[in-house]
Amino acid sequence: MAELEATGLTLAYDKVTIVDELSLQIPTGEVTMVVGANGCGKSTLLRALARLLKPAGGQVLLDGSDIHTRPAKEVAKLLGLLPQTPNAPEGITVRELVSRGRYPHQGWFKRFSAEDEAAVARALAMTRTTELADRPVDELSGGQRQRVWIAMALAQETGLLLLDEPTTYLDIAHQLEVLDTIAELNRTRGITVVIVLHDLNLAARYADHLVALKDGKIHAAGHPSVVVTEQMVKEVFGMPSRVIPDPVAGTPLVLPIGKHRVLRAETLLAAKGIKRREPAVVAAASDTAGTRRVASGPSAATGLGEVRDELRPSHEHCATLAFQTEVIRAEKLSDSFRRITLSGPDLEHFGTNSHPLDLRIKLLLAAGAADGLPAELATMRPQGLTSPSDVAGWYQRWLQIDPAQRGVMRTYTVRAWREAGHRDNLSEDAPELDVDFVLHGQYVDGHLQGGPATEFGANAKIGDRLLLLGPNKALTDASYGGIEFRPGSASRVLLVGDETAAPAICSILEALPSTVTGQAFIEVPEAGDILGSSTASGVSLHWLTRGTAAHGELLEAAVRDAVAIPAAGVVETNTDPEDIDVDSTILWETGQNPAGPFYAWIAGEASVVKSLRRYLVRDVGIDRKQVAFMGYWRQGKSEN
Amino acid sequence: MIPARTAQTAAAPATRRRRRPVARCAAWLAAVLLLAAAAYIFAGRDALPAGQVLQVLGGQSVPGTGFILLEDRLPRLVVGILAGAGFGISGSLFQRWLGNPLASPDVIGIGYGAATATIVAMIYLGLTGWGLNLAALAGGLGVAALIYWLSASGSRTGPRLILAGLAIGAMLQAVIQFLLTQAQLNTAADAIRWLTGSLAPSTWEKAWVLLIALGLVGALLPLVIRQLKLLELGEDAAAALGLRVGSARMLLVLVAVAMGAIPVAVTGPLAFVAFLAGPITAALTRGAINIGLAALTGAVIVTVANFLAANLFADLSLPVGVITGAFGAPFLIWVLVRANSRGNGG
Repeated sequence: MAELEATGLTLAYDKVTIVDELSLQIPTGEVTMVVGANGCGKSTLLRALARLLKPAGGQVLLDGSDIHTRPAKEVAKLLGLLPQTPNAPEGITVRELVSRGRYPHQGWFKRFSAEDEAAVARALAMTRTTELADRPVDELSGGQRQRVWIAMALAQETGLLLLDEPTTYLDIAHQLEVLDTIAELNRTRGITVVIVLHDLNLAARYADHLVALKDGKIHAAGHPSVVVTEQMVKEVFGMPSRVIPDPVAGTPLVLPIGKHRVLRAETLLAAKGIKRREPAVVAAASDTAGTRRVASGPSAATGLGEVRDELRPSHEHCATLAFQTEVIRAEKLSDSFRRITLSGPDLEHFGTNSHPLDLRIKLLLAAGAADGLPAELATMRPQGLTSPSDVAGWYQRWLQIDPAQRGVMRTYTVRAWREAGHRDNLSEDAPELDVDFVLHGQYVDGHLQGGPATEFGANAKIGDRLLLLGPNKALTDASYGGIEFRPGSASRVLLVGDETAAPAICSILEALPSTVTGQAFIEVPEAGDILGSSTASGVSLHWLTRGTAAHGELLEAAVRDAVAIPAAGVVETNTDPEDIDVDSTILWETGQNPAGPFYAWIAGEASVVKSLRRYLVRDVGIDRKQVAFMGYWRQGKSEN
Repeated sequence: MIPARTAQTAAAPATRRRRRPVARCAAWLAAVLLLAAAAYIFAGRDALPAGQVLQVLGGQSVPGTGFILLEDRLPRLVVGILAGAGFGISGSLFQRWLGNPLASPDVIGIGYGAATATIVAMIYLGLTGWGLNLAALAGGLGVAALIYWLSASGSRTGPRLILAGLAIGAMLQAVIQFLLTQAQLNTAADAIRWLTGSLAPSTWEKAWVLLIALGLVGALLPLVIRQLKLLELGEDAAAALGLRVGSARMLLVLVAVAMGAIPVAVTGPLAFVAFLAGPITAALTRGAINIGLAALTGAVIVTVANFLAANLFADLSLPVGVITGAFGAPFLIWVLVRANSRGNGG
């Protein structure tokens, strides 16, 4: 069996160095795959290994002697190469083409011998192309053609076979067909194979030995399970990725992370260079007989089981974290609102790196009568140790806990956020946030009875502990929240909501610039619920006190007043918006106002929002892109 | 076994065209060649009486017929066959090497190189016989080297080489025009007749020169064809099979140019013979271009054209080159259109 080795190999075209002092030993009897970015020199290296390119420095050793000191024909008896784009002459048949692989075995003017004939027949049989022998090569499919070329290289009957991108231009099924053919040859004939391959995942699957080239140097070499890591992919291909065990083969599977169409957390992780996973460890038994293969069949499961993800602090990889906080202030704003200020060191990791407009959090209320938090959530605190697979599906696992133990979860919105050291901070060393609790319920014996959030808000006192789930500052951005306020270039806005939307509307008003005008309507139960708010904009805010009127009645009247139905013929009214059953579905329809001068934002009780939507879209004829409709809650249902 | 065979035969009509063996095609071509040659002697405008021809061939001296046959028609046929074979080999070698029917020496300017050199030798140096052959060979090789050098920056792809050749060809035509304006009137007239391509000046002496020169070069053909079989797979594939690509390529160009340039000195550039022979061969066998068959096809083309040239018009004997040109040009257009639609044109 021929042995191939490169020592201190330097390759150059016209004085431009492509491969730089590279040393490489091709493992005999194994499949070696060479991968790397475009222009990294992998094809050049292959040409040099095949004696097609004279090195500018160093040597290629074939069975220990410099390949360039040996005659071409002699080398061709030991080593075959299939170039990337060989050229099939027009009209040539498969048999004729494969026969040409016998050239190195023929002498001058020597006729085609019986031995040659037998070698061609073997090559055809091994590549399953015997049936095609008399067909013209031009008429074959891409995969068949590539098998025929491999057959030609096989007819050469060499112990070493080098292939340059044998799967280029083939569809995925034909790629596998070709690689399976090669793998089979390697297994049954013990042929040493070196393949330059584009597809990293297929390379990882089919290689016994993987060589990653970067800028003409070996970046990493070894078994694919050791070589293929997120780190390597980043460094060699300049692309962030995740590497997971291939569920089919157990080999590493590279999932690229681009800028678009990727979960946001992945993009942010990638941008920060945070690697999800350390090198997967597949039984790295090195075995001298060269019979080790990539796990396949039953053994794949073993490989899969051995690939574990490592425990690491949650704040390094979880987009959502659990924050343990303590009430440090409780302030009654009105009969319907109570502002609770929460603080705690965990909040160092809280935030979205933006103004906290309607920054949604989940409050874990009445969890575990005893002090203990459910372990599922405790580990999601910033310093808790988790592995990515632990975290995925935490919500489902939380749901499976006994309801008495797990508590209830309610979605709320952050009204104000103050970093540690903010001049208004109550606590000196920790960030804090305000949550305005809406108190709707009835007083029974002097105690407010309502939903769990209402009760917590009504009863919270300094020192009470509250676990909340919210965004990890390191991994989320401004698009996290549920405010959905995207006015585009609108200069006139309409903000409409009931008490549940009051905090969000107040937040919006605080953030609006002075160039924007318009109107805001907030319906609250009674006059005492009117909150202080400020805005730099020209939007006039109207508080509507409900009193005995039905929920939303005042809002509807106000909106009809503010946005009149245009005179007939002024605009074309739209068709009725499709009906949404607000009892079973969440009404959540948000547009991105592209350039319109007007933008409306409607939130609150779902049936009120639905009715306003019908009015604005059907009767007034407003483009739906210019309005955000959000049903925050449904009267008569306790869910948020 | 049986199902497999059924599947194969079922697929056959759709995907498989029946190939025709080279030997059978060769037999047919040889028959056509003999027929055309016989027609040229026995039929047509100046038909020779069959009996007298047989007497002459039998060694008897027949005044008139004997002279016409031995000193005019037979040398013409022999020179035509040899030149046609040379052109056919030259064209098909280039076409196969570069994998493109446009890559024949008469299209890519090598023919013009030989012609220019021959005219210089004829008009200014007054050479004849061997001298002209050598001049034609030198001219052809000179242009081949020039094209090669021009197209060599980057990879030597077929289309690049063909474009470079077309440009050189156009330039050389201008040079020829210039040379003709500088020549004496009657020499220029001779040169123009030669340029059209004609078998009229054929003599036994020229036939011998042609036979010996082509024979010497032809001795290298088996080796060249063996190496061509690898070269046409692409240079990397050829090198990987143990071929010394540089010298193989050199030898191929040398032989192909010689095969095309040597006949030019005698017959003039017979338009499109080199270009037509290979593709016609491929169409006849429905397979790859066979070099030997291309030689035979070239000979058939020239012989048939010779007969047509002599008999197409009642009172006008055309130079052979006019006929080959008239039939070759439409074919060139067809190849260009076809190549264009397949996206692999020059």
